Amino acid sequence: MAHPAQLGFQDAASPVMEELLCFHDHALMIVFLISTLVLYIIIAMVSTKLTNKFILDSQEIEIVWTVLPAIILILIALPSLRILYLMDEINDPHVTIKAVGHQWYWSYEYTDYENLEFDSYMVPTQDLTPGGFRLLETDHRMVVPKESPIRILVSAEDVLHSWAVPSLGIKMDAVPGRLNQTAFIVSRPGVFYGQCSEICGANHSFMPIVVEAVPLEFFENWSSAMLEDA
Amino acid sequence: MTEEDGKTQGMKVLGILDIHNTPCAREAILHGAAGSVAAGLLHFLATSRVKRSFDVGVAGFMITTLGSWFYCRYNNAKLRFQQRIIQEGLKNKVFYEGTDLDPTLKKTGDK
Repeated sequence: MAHPAQLGFQDAASPVMEELLCFHDHALMIVFLISTLVLYIIIAMVSTKLTNKFILDSQEIEIVWTVLPAIILILIALPSLRILYLMDEINDPHVTIKAVGHQWYWSYEYTDYENLEFDSYMVPTQDLTPGGFRLLETDHRMVVPKESPIRILVSAEDVLHSWAVPSLGIKMDAVPGRLNQTAFIVSRPGVFYGQCSEICGANHSFMPIVVEAVPLEFFENWSSAMLEDA
Repeated sequence: MTEEDGKTQGMKVLGILDIHNTPCAREAILHGAAGSVAAGLLHFLATSRVKRSFDVGVAGFMITTLGSWFYCRYNNAKLRFQQRIIQEGLKNKVFYEGTDLDPTLKKTGDK
C-alpha cells in the first residue's frame, strides 16, 4: 500500500499492473537517457563560446532532431498501446460487481447473487481498531475471489466519482447515468486500498475503496454469510 | 519498480531512475559507462579530437545503455512468459491428472 513520501508505484497485485510497472520502468529509462543527452548538450554549450557559432542553416541537424523524437515517441507509444488494449479485454468474467459512487461512500452490488448488496463507509479515526489505516478502512470491504476474472461496472448516483485501486492498476470514472466497465484479476490474496479519484465534494477524501482478495472457498463463505445477514 | 515497505530506498540517478529497485537498470548503466569510455577512447586514439571524442563517448553511452536495457528486459519478459505457461501447466496438471484429458498420457501413447 501507499506510504509517506512515496514517489513510485505500489506493488502489483494483478497482471495488468505488472505490465504497467514494466512500462513505467521502460519510460523512465527513456526519460533518463533524454535527460542525460540534454544535460550533456547544456554543459557543452555553456563550456565553450565557439560551438556552432556560425550555423545558419543545417539540414543534417534538422533531420536528426526530427527523426530522433519520432523514434522515441514510437518506442513509448507502441508498448503503451499494447497495455491500453490489454486493459480493455474482458474475457468471460466469473463475477460481476457493480460499484456505485455516492456522496460520500461506495455501494456494491453483486449481480450474480440475489440481494447481495451493501454500502461501504469509511471507518472514522476514533473507531479504528489497532492496526487499521486512517482514512482508508471501510466498514464493509469489497470481497473478491483471487485468480478469477472479475468484471466491475462503475457508475455514480449523484456527481462524478472515480473508482481507483492502484495495486490492481484500475482507475475508472463513475459517471451518473452511465455504466463504465473494466475487469481485473487479483493474482494474490490480500487487502488492497484505493480512494475516490475524482473531486466529488466536501468529503471526497473520505470515501475509500477496500478490495479484499481471498481464495474461492472463503469467498463463498463470505457471500453466504452476507446473504444470510440480508 | 515499487518502493513499498521493507525495500531499500534505492539510489536515484538524476533523481528519476531508481537503479537499485529497477530490474536491468544497474547493468544497463554499467554497460553504458563501459561503452562510453571504450567509444570515446577509441575515437580519441584514432582522431586525437578531444571535443568530438566526448560527443562520441556520450553517443556510445546512450547506444550501449539502450541496447543492454532492451536485451535484458526482453530476456526477463521471455522468462516471465515461460513462468506463466509453467504455472498454468501445473494448475492444469492437477485438474487433468488421471483423466482422459491428461496431456502426459497422450504423449506417451498410453491411451
